[in-house]
Amino acid sequence: MNTPNPTAVAGRRYATEFSISMVAYAVVLIISITTIEHGLSPALKLVFALLPLIPIAFVFAAIVRYMSSIDELQRRIQIESLSLAAGITALLAITYGFLETVGLPHLSAWYTYAAVMVAWLIAQPFVARRYR
Amino acid sequence: MRNRIRVLRAEHEWSQAEVADRLGIARQTINALETGKYAPSLPLAFKISKLFKKPVEEIFDPASEES
Repeated sequence: MNTPNPTAVAGRRYATEFSISMVAYAVVLIISITTIEHGLSPALKLVFALLPLIPIAFVFAAIVRYMSSIDELQRRIQIESLSLAAGITALLAITYGFLETVGLPHLSAWYTYAAVMVAWLIAQPFVARRYR
Repeated sequence: MRNRIRVLRAEHEWSQAEVADRLGIARQTINALETGKYAPSLPLAFKISKLFKKPVEEIFDPASEES
């Protein structure tokens, strides 16, 4: 076939965009951390602290582009696993929130992000298996 | 939903990968369609019908919900 398969193209393009964005993220993160250490004004500190959000926005754009270019079943698998991940994260967050009221240490908001991503990754093969 | 995709694909001597490329979908998706694990959207059903040059109702059996 002459026309390339859009679902296959989407996967390759996502891998490229994700890799480039993550390298950019690592570079910007190093710049951000080292600059903040050099004692800046609070306003500039804020700017440099938020700087890594730019490459992260590119990762987000790559995910959105990937999700809209894959075929309907693959998109369904991704959306179902993402929904499961959101639900699992909500349950974990609520559970830990209650545990904090009885004395467990307060955790950073970073853990919520990590939980969604890990749960999304784990949910994918389980959801995909239902269509095999 | 039961369907005749596997039979029609065999008649054309196409592999799952070939049909996936012709429809612009993943090979796993063609497999899910053939095994009846996934019922396609109307646009995809018509694409399949066009590819095999058969009307939709000759490819898909609406009476069967399960594979």
